[in-house]
Amino acid sequence: MTGPVLSVRDLTARVSIDGETRTLIDAVSFDLCRGEILGLVGESGSGKSMICRALVKLLPSPAIAITGGSVLLGGRDLLALDEDVMRAVRGVEIGMIFQNPTSHLDPVMRIGDQIAEGIRYHQGFGRDQARLAAVDILGQVGFPHPERQFDSYPHELSGGMRQRAMIAIALSCNPKILIADEPTTALDVTIQAQILRLLLDLRDKRGLSIILITHDLGIVAQTCDSIAVLRNGQLLEKGPKRRVLAEPQHAYTASLLKSHPSMPEEGGVMAVTQVAPQMTARPLLEIDDLVVRFPTPGLGLFKKGKMNISAVNGVSLRIMPGETVGIVGESGSGKSTLARAILGLTPLTSGHISFEGSDLAQQRRLTLAKLRTEAAMVFQDPYNALNPRLTIGDMLAEVLAVQGNTSQVGISNRIGELLDLVELDRSFATRLPRSMSGGQCQRAGIARALAVNPKLIIADECVAALDVTIQSQIIELFRDLKVRMNLTLLFIAHDLAIVRNLCDRVVVMHRGEIVEEGRCNVVFANPRHAYTAALISAIPDIDPDKPLPQGDLPPRSESKTPRALRFRSLISTQ
Amino acid sequence: MHRYRFVLFRPVQFLPVLFGISIITFILVRLIPGDPARVLLGTRSTPTAIARIRAQYGLDEPLWLQYFYFLENLGKGEMGKSILYKIDVLKLIATRIEPTLSLVLTSVLLSILIAVPMSAIAARNNGRLADHAVRIVSTFGIGFPPFWLALMLIILFSVRLGIFPVSGYGETIGDKLAHLALPSLTIALSLSAVLTRSLRAAMIVALKSDLATAARARGMPENIVFWRHVLPNSLVPTVNLLAVNTGWLIGGTVVVETVFALPGMGQLLVRAIFSRDYMVVQGVAMVFACATVLVNFFADIVTVSLDPRVRL
Repeated sequence: MTGPVLSVRDLTARVSIDGETRTLIDAVSFDLCRGEILGLVGESGSGKSMICRALVKLLPSPAIAITGGSVLLGGRDLLALDEDVMRAVRGVEIGMIFQNPTSHLDPVMRIGDQIAEGIRYHQGFGRDQARLAAVDILGQVGFPHPERQFDSYPHELSGGMRQRAMIAIALSCNPKILIADEPTTALDVTIQAQILRLLLDLRDKRGLSIILITHDLGIVAQTCDSIAVLRNGQLLEKGPKRRVLAEPQHAYTASLLKSHPSMPEEGGVMAVTQVAPQMTARPLLEIDDLVVRFPTPGLGLFKKGKMNISAVNGVSLRIMPGETVGIVGESGSGKSTLARAILGLTPLTSGHISFEGSDLAQQRRLTLAKLRTEAAMVFQDPYNALNPRLTIGDMLAEVLAVQGNTSQVGISNRIGELLDLVELDRSFATRLPRSMSGGQCQRAGIARALAVNPKLIIADECVAALDVTIQSQIIELFRDLKVRMNLTLLFIAHDLAIVRNLCDRVVVMHRGEIVEEGRCNVVFANPRHAYTAALISAIPDIDPDKPLPQGDLPPRSESKTPRALRFRSLISTQ
Repeated sequence: MHRYRFVLFRPVQFLPVLFGISIITFILVRLIPGDPARVLLGTRSTPTAIARIRAQYGLDEPLWLQYFYFLENLGKGEMGKSILYKIDVLKLIATRIEPTLSLVLTSVLLSILIAVPMSAIAARNNGRLADHAVRIVSTFGIGFPPFWLALMLIILFSVRLGIFPVSGYGETIGDKLAHLALPSLTIALSLSAVLTRSLRAAMIVALKSDLATAARARGMPENIVFWRHVLPNSLVPTVNLLAVNTGWLIGGTVVVETVFALPGMGQLLVRAIFSRDYMVVQGVAMVFACATVLVNFFADIVTVSLDPRVRL
């Protein structure tokens, strides 16, 4: 590595709203060398995305201004450049990819045209020349049929392919630097591993320098050369990856590392032994050969759609009282549909679900009445799952009043107890969701689930939207609650590490079917199914010496067959 | 091109819609108090003369039989004879449809030509003076009644400036366009105001969207970001709004036609209603219904061509 390609000195940005000024980026300095991958780590609000926006002077609001510092690229200070020159820098020297490829791609424009757009504008290529160049890049980022896929629209591609398309756009004019803002957060683990491998590969081939923004230290450990840890707009610590991971200088870095779910925890194992399910008892929930199909839209006014999308396809499962069962699988595996079916929120196509012995298909009214009073759900997005017009107290009071088990006088007392249970201060009863953080909202959501005094709680990706440190707090809360209240917990997640920490038993779903189930420690140590093994090996481990699943991938070759496809066929079961 | 397959079998769905409309207009027309024979004969009406006229036009038959004849005629491509004008309804409509269609077409085109730049200026200067100016103008456009606007335009452009004719309709294309200018402008001023409101809002959202950020991040200048990415992504809701308004316009040009003395369908319909000219009212209503259905069909095709995600 030679001298730095990009050199950031005392970068400072402030936002002023209603005369009040707040510092978003506080004198941040760092260097990026050629071929280096720098991980910018921090929780939401730490300013990591803001820094990257500031580097290319694309601030999300006119209220935000860069007030000081310098960004040196090839001897020029980007902050001093005017907009015309800056545009050329954005397209040609610094490429950018984003967290959500779906919303960042133009849905009404062909993928190839979006790539060719920059090539034609910045490099002055003609239409056919630009097309050739774009097809070439599509091939490089792993599109199996670049010539044909040039003409696809974003919605015709999978999430992983969309992110590849974003990368292709960012690389279209051969930039020296790529800024990747949470590029894999919206993707499944196996796809995440593919995209990370692609980034590493591009770095090696092109000598690209990458700034990788992420909240996941596992990703940093696997891909980055150096780490910069941010909190509240300040750079707390920066250094080579191994040094930071092994001997964090700052207490905050240490706490981030400790809360990473791939770290083994004593408590998890203890909980498993403490609450051994009573195998002799009657199962609380019994699912037998459950099939849920959705109709595809039919053509014309009078033709009914055929029921031919199977979300859940022949699933059988028994859950004992007091058990904590994790359901894992990638998006589209049917895990959320299964949860909705159990609570009677989705019609069953065939099969049986019985809750405490009453059958949902045969005695629908009775079973539903039972489910509504003895089972509850915690949702993925804590903000959207709470009514924005109700205070937390009113929301809990509503549940308690509908349940009718608590006297009018007892309600405020019970609200206090519930808030205590989820470790929220009692003053939260008067707060509205918008004045609360994501973690606090999720605690309120859990309090609402507990308000019915449930035997069964189904948590559907309930920590996926939260920062790692908050995630581990919520997991801790669940662990505590299930012991104290003898809860049966059905925990749905795409994050295997969390399930491994919390659950006794794990069920792996793939394309609507259960491919493997068993005790957590057994399944994770010794996966029997190839899909489970692929899922497990795709988790980026915080230990940099446990690499991404390189063994599953074919060795680098001249062959044009994209890695992604081979990897896919390897893990697919059908 | 299978996304456009609906173009082939959507027309099949038109049949039940038109059938329903024919029943409703047939019954509604006959619920209007009064008797066409009495209106026709005026002061000369005697019970025998009325009975003769009623028999001549089949008005003495039971309702269901009259409807049956109506359908039978429709099948033969006829809509009966006008009681007032004594000629075939379809022929009558044919002489009147051209001014109305031209008026609708020029009004819609003019509205688009006004609405797109106005929305673009407002959205790109969101919160600034130009934005407020556009909003005030469009509020006026929606607020002023068309007959008043029409009179003001006549005073300004015809009486004072003498650029456009006051009223009537021409023979040659150029002459026709000159006569259509003020009526179209009257309609376009209020229609474009409605469109601008919707388009401006969609553009503001799209300007702040991730896809616009991504386009800026690959170094696209603001003009390309706007016209190539923001505009196509904000058009769909406004296309549907325009379709609904155009459907309404086809039957709603009567005020403007009256003020500018355009010999169109609106005038024909009003006179037919007053003289209880059942066959004409039915015929005109059917034509309006067909036109509305066709406009929406056309809007669907435009929507599908604008957004590759839409399946119909």
